Amino acid sequence: MDSAGHGPTRRKGIRNLLTSRLLEAELSWISSLILFFSTVYTALNIDILWVAFGVTALTLYVLPVVANRDPFKALPWEMTLLLAAPMLLHISAGSERLNENLTWWRDLTSLAFAFSLATIGFLLTVELQIFTAIRMNRPFAIFFVVMFTLAVAGFWGVGEFIGDKVWNTDYLGSNYDVMMDFVWTLVGGVVMGIVYYLYLKATPKGRRERLEFMHMWEATNWRKG
Amino acid sequence: MEERLKLLSRAMQAAMLAIALAGFLTDNLTWVPAAVVSLIITEIPSILRRDLKLVLPVELNFWIVLALFLHVFGGVSGFYDNVPGWDHVTHALSASLIAALGFIVVLSIDKYVKSIFLPRRFLGVFIAIFTMATGVLWELMEFSMDMWTGSHMQYTLDDTMLDMLFDGVAGIAVAAVGAHYLSHTTRDEFLEKMGVDKAKDNIVRIVDKRRSK
Repeated sequence: MDSAGHGPTRRKGIRNLLTSRLLEAELSWISSLILFFSTVYTALNIDILWVAFGVTALTLYVLPVVANRDPFKALPWEMTLLLAAPMLLHISAGSERLNENLTWWRDLTSLAFAFSLATIGFLLTVELQIFTAIRMNRPFAIFFVVMFTLAVAGFWGVGEFIGDKVWNTDYLGSNYDVMMDFVWTLVGGVVMGIVYYLYLKATPKGRRERLEFMHMWEATNWRKG
Repeated sequence: MEERLKLLSRAMQAAMLAIALAGFLTDNLTWVPAAVVSLIITEIPSILRRDLKLVLPVELNFWIVLALFLHVFGGVSGFYDNVPGWDHVTHALSASLIAALGFIVVLSIDKYVKSIFLPRRFLGVFIAIFTMATGVLWELMEFSMDMWTGSHMQYTLDDTMLDMLFDGVAGIAVAAVGAHYLSHTTRDEFLEKMGVDKAKDNIVRIVDKRRSK
């Protein structure tokens, strides 16, 4: 910035905007690749529940891009990374060993899982409004995010329980372990509910409109038909 | 049919009263609080009808009494300990109750909140989600009670997970029943029959009165 005064600053501003936009999109694409390859990895291991998770996350990622036919309308990279995080924690080679050696490792994975479940819930509220007639206001959407997180964790637990019975495995552990999972799910769900409420407020209007989907909650011109 | 359900509800309420009295007289107090609280809860619909002019469907009323009665009866008769699966039956019943009440609340929200529109199909999904989430919260409540007060509400992991399995089933069943209901009547007719409109006006009036004081 030492050569200030040379050339029109306005063009520089635009170029900065373009690079930051490109950078953001690239980060998002890279994150989606991480998500994609983790899903493929779980599919190769026939890890059904996690494949379902990955496919759902990928669908939510791809939908806005395909619908707008614009690769720049990809999800924000931070959300995509949040979606990929629990899969990475799950498939990381040392996960089993860490689970045994670090008492808080399972707590960490279930918290990360809650974060990404809440993210999926949040994206659902947003994308349902784009692609269907459903309309929610902010309080209801936040309520939905928290309920969704808890419910999916619940159905997930039941699924693992059935899996444990059918294949005679022991993923769930003791009652205490499962309940602690749910405690972290509740914490994660509520925290992310609040975070997304603030996130929508804090995201600059320009970025919200550029991503074209996060302004849906503030649609003011919509009236019930 | 409706008369018969009302009669059955009354009979079960009478039985709970008898259980409470008998427990009190014979000094078997373990299930007396549960019986008394259950009786009070079964009277809430009548209070709602009297004060807010809100009329819950007879079937739902019956369902409420049945769930509480089976809970109290199972405790007194020892069925909770002796009949395998009794706790899951009562759990599924109360889960379906939560689902039904959630269904009515969400329908009302859909009708009265201007910025919210929830199509019928989404309502079903939401009820299933809502019921399962409440089930998880319920198990967490039991868990923390066990931790803090040393009570013994949760037996084994299998028991907890079966409870949650029934939560899921109950939620999906109620979602299906609700969709069936709505295919016969419209949302507005359904809510009007219960007097939700009048109840809302009454609530607004009561709140206004409180505020102006």
